[in-house]
Amino acid sequence: MIVAETKPLDEIKALLSDAEKVLVVGCGTCVTVCFAGGSREVAIMGSLLRMAGRMDGHERQVEEVTVQRQCEWEYLDAIAEQVGAVDVVLSLGCGIGVQALAEHFPNAWVVPGLNTKFMGLPLEQGVWAERCAGCGDCLLGLTGGVCPIARCSKQLLNGPCGGSIDGHCEINPEVSCAWQLIYDRLTEKGKLEVLMEIQPPRDWRTARHGGPRTIVREDLRLPEDHQAGQSMKQEA
Amino acid sequence: MSDQPSFEPQIVAFCCRHCAYTAADLAGGLRFQYPTSIKVVELPCTGRLDVLHVLRAFEDGADGVIAAG
Repeated sequence: MIVAETKPLDEIKALLSDAEKVLVVGCGTCVTVCFAGGSREVAIMGSLLRMAGRMDGHERQVEEVTVQRQCEWEYLDAIAEQVGAVDVVLSLGCGIGVQALAEHFPNAWVVPGLNTKFMGLPLEQGVWAERCAGCGDCLLGLTGGVCPIARCSKQLLNGPCGGSIDGHCEINPEVSCAWQLIYDRLTEKGKLEVLMEIQPPRDWRTARHGGPRTIVREDLRLPEDHQAGQSMKQEA
Repeated sequence: MSDQPSFEPQIVAFCCRHCAYTAADLAGGLRFQYPTSIKVVELPCTGRLDVLHVLRAFEDGADGVIAAG
């Protein structure tokens, strides 16, 4: 999932500036399960903003809504009327949700209420850890299912480095050495010989180093006459 | 000080039905008085209390909230 955290309230208040009508928009997918931007967090944010407005002598009308997924036009269509009725839309979605709202409703002013952190998983209740860097050329098949791009501080392809100390990374003793994990995993599975193959320098163009990425699946695309019928943008 | 209007804080008391709420009920049965500024909300358990309930109480004008259980 995409993992995010709420921005400090003072920063959110500054982003809202002198807006009198605010719509807080949550997302029912990733940020719901990481307790950052679901319907509950939207209700809390709404309550905080209404009280903060009163305390600051600048009362705001704060509305709340949560869509199933902020990153798909179809779900955003359902809130077009609410978006059109406010001065500022405060998105409690990830960075994709914020941009989807801004792109879908070009007349609206959309600001983020969260800081999007990483793609990861919950290790235990209340603890999330990064697991994927979205590098575009997955090599987990060579590393026993442990990603050295996301989990090695140096993103080494042939580790570990000299900073691996008792299974931990030199940058922080609380960070596990990804290459120690890889070594342990391959040992456990009897596949240590995989490490004998030296990995050549990587083509990082598949990652963000090649600029923003797009996927086009011609087999899934609709014929042009259908595409024209699909509303890509809607006036807020 | 005597000409100052007295401030009587409005308190919302979230009470567990198995202890604090029952105690308040018993106090009522014994004709003990408590201030009318205390508003008791019965919960099935104080574990049900969510930050949202506390925020809503403050938003609706409470000066203080007590969780009793």
